[in-house]
Amino acid sequence: MSYYFTILSPTDVPLFNIAFGTSKSGGDGIARFRFPEAAQNTYMTQFIIHSSLDMLEEAQWMGGNMYLKHIDTYPPASSYISAFLTPSGTRFLLLHQPPQPNLPPSSSSGPGGGSMSLSVTSGMGSSGLFGGSGSSSGRASSSSIAANPTSPQTEEAVRQFMTEVYENYVKTVMSPFYRRGMEVKSPVFRGKVSAAGRKWL
Amino acid sequence: MSHPPRHSSMLSISNNVQTAATPSEKPLPPTQLQATSQTPPGLRVPSNRKTIYDRHLNRTRNGELSRASFAFLFGEMVTYAQRRVTGIQDLERRLNEQGYPLGLRLLDLLFYRTTSSTSSSALSSSSTSASPPNRPLRILPLLHLIHGPLWRQLFNRSADALEHSISPDTPNEYMITDNDPLVNTYISVPKEMNQLSCAAFVAGIIEGVCDGCGFEAKVSAHNQPSELWPSRTIFLLRFGDSVMEREKVLERAGVK
Amino acid sequence: MPVYSLIIINKAGGLVYQREFQPGLRKLSTNDYLVLAGTFHGVHAITRSITPKIPNQNAVSVTSSTTQTPTPTTTAAAAAAASPSSTSVLSPSSTSIPTPTPTPTPLSTTSTTTPALPPSTSTPSNATYTYPIPNLPLSGLETLESDKFTLTCFQTLTGTKFLLFTDPQMANIEGIMKTVYELYADYVMKNPFYQLEMPVRCEAFERGVGGFLRARG
Repeated sequence: MSYYFTILSPTDVPLFNIAFGTSKSGGDGIARFRFPEAAQNTYMTQFIIHSSLDMLEEAQWMGGNMYLKHIDTYPPASSYISAFLTPSGTRFLLLHQPPQPNLPPSSSSGPGGGSMSLSVTSGMGSSGLFGGSGSSSGRASSSSIAANPTSPQTEEAVRQFMTEVYENYVKTVMSPFYRRGMEVKSPVFRGKVSAAGRKWL
Repeated sequence: MSHPPRHSSMLSISNNVQTAATPSEKPLPPTQLQATSQTPPGLRVPSNRKTIYDRHLNRTRNGELSRASFAFLFGEMVTYAQRRVTGIQDLERRLNEQGYPLGLRLLDLLFYRTTSSTSSSALSSSSTSASPPNRPLRILPLLHLIHGPLWRQLFNRSADALEHSISPDTPNEYMITDNDPLVNTYISVPKEMNQLSCAAFVAGIIEGVCDGCGFEAKVSAHNQPSELWPSRTIFLLRFGDSVMEREKVLERAGVK
Repeated sequence: MPVYSLIIINKAGGLVYQREFQPGLRKLSTNDYLVLAGTFHGVHAITRSITPKIPNQNAVSVTSSTTQTPTPTTTAAAAAAASPSSTSVLSPSSTSIPTPTPTPTPLSTTSTTTPALPPSTSTPSNATYTYPIPNLPLSGLETLESDKFTLTCFQTLTGTKFLLFTDPQMANIEGIMKTVYELYADYVMKNPFYQLEMPVRCEAFERGVGGFLRARG
C-alpha cells in the first residue's frame, strides 16, 4: 500500500505533501506507486488528488462531518482518495493505492520490493529462497487495512490518521508566525505526520 | 523522523563557523555532516527540545488570563491601530483586520477542543463513541456556534441575544448582542469619535469564523447603549449573496 | 456623611479632574480650581520638605509626629504655621554642620511621645539623621481637617494626587480612596484614548466614580 498525503488550503494551494508506504505487516514505509510512467510519480499523484476536489466540494455541503471518508476513486491507477475537512476549510487529502492484486503478494508487500520492475524480479528471485516468510506476510496484509481500501477498518484507520494530523495542524495554525495559506515547512510537523502514518496506516 | 537534538544543531552551527573561519581544518566526520543536512538552516529547537508540537493543546483550556493584562494589551492594540489612521472607519477596519486571523485560528482550536473533550483521549485511543461536532453547513448552526461555544471560549459566557433582521429587504442580516463586551469594559471613547466601537476587533473575530466556515460575511460592531447596559454592543452580520444562494439550495436539499 | 468633591492633580501640579458629588456646594470658576490645584501642589511639596529629621548622635526619646499625619486639631492655619517653623529649622543647618540638624519639634502641640527606635539599627550607618518613622518614605501632607470638611490627600507612586473632600464625621476614608484609585487605574489608565497627564474625560470613569461616591452620599 502506497500513500500520498497532501494538505490544501481553502483556495487549493498545496501547503504540505508527503508520500509514504505502509508500515503494517512488514511494510518498509516507502511509497511505490504504480503509474504508467514510474518517473512521473510526483505529479501524477497530485494530479489525481486535485481531480477529486470537485467531489470534495460537493461532499463538503452534504454532511457536517470533518472526516468525509473515501470520496473518489481513480480506476486507471486503482487509487482511492479520502478527505478530511477542517472547520476553517483546509483540506486534508490522502491518496492510497493498494498493492497490485494480480501480482504475487510477496512481491508487492514484501520488504525487499523496489520500483515496479525491480519488485517483480526480486519477487521471482526471492520466492524460492524466502518463500515461507514472504507469502505469510503477504497473506497477513491481504486481510489487513492495506489490501482493502474501502473496508470499515481502513476508513477507521484513515480517520485516526487524519485526526492526529489535524491535531498537529491546529498546533501549526496556532503559531503566531503562521498565516493562512502559508506552506507548512516545519520538519517537526513532517515528522509527526509520518509518525502518524506509521502508527495507523 | 524525530527532530535532531539541540546539541547536534548547535554542533552544526559551530562547525560551520569554524570551517568558514579556518579553511585548513580537517573535513568534518560524515555523521556530523549528516546532522547538518538534517537540520534546515534557521530551525532552532528550544533547549528543552519541546516544540509547539510537543505541547498539548488542551493544557491551557481552562487557564485564566488576567483581565488587567488583557485590558492593557488591548489598549495598546487600539493605540497601535490609531497610528496614521484616516478616520473612524479606517480605525475600525484595522481593528477588524487584527481580529480576523484570530477567528480563523479559534475555529480550528474550538473544534479540536470540543472533539477531544467529549472523549477524553480520542486522539490516542481507538474509542469512537463520541462523534466530533459537525461543521456548520447552514447559517443558523453557524450563528449558534458563534453565540454559544465561541463566546464561551472567548469570554466564558454566551452572548446575550441572537436576532434575525425583521426587515424583508435585508434577509441576510443577523445580529448578535453582547450587553457588556469585555473589550470595551475599560474603554471610554471620546465624544468626537462616538461612532467608534472598539468591539470592531470582536467583529473581526466573528468575520474570521464565518469566512473560515465558508460563509462570506461582513461583520461590524455598533454601540447600542441602554439604561442598564451602557456599553451594549450589537454585532451586525451581513452574509454575502453566494451564501444566501447556497442557503436556498441546501434548504431544498434538506440539509440542516 | 457624604463625600463632597474629588480633585485629581497630575505630577506637574495641573488639575486633571474635578467633580462635586453633593448639590449646593459653592462653585469655583475653572480658573480658581486650576489655581487651587497648583497651590496645593506647592503646599504639598513644602510639607514634604519640612518633615523633621532626627540626628543619629542624640538618642532621641521623643519623636514628633510628622506633618504627614497632623492630629485632628491641625487645620489649614496650623499647616500655614508650620511653614515658618520649617524655615527656622533650615536656617541653623545652613550655618552650622550641613546635615545633622538639631531637632526643634516644630509642631510641639501635636507631638506624641513614642519610644524611639534605635536609629543606628534602622538606618544605614552613613546616614546622619533619620525620619520619625524610619521605614516610611517621605510623603507630604496627608490630611487636613476643619470643622466643615476633611481633606484627604493620597499620592500615587507616579506622583498623581487624589484629593477627597469629605464630611468631618466620615469614617474609612482610606477605603474610599482605595476604591477611587482602583477606578482610576481601571477606567482611566487602561483607556487607550486617555493621554497621560491630560485632563480626564472618560465616560466610564465618570459612571464608576459617580455610582460609587453618590451611593455613599
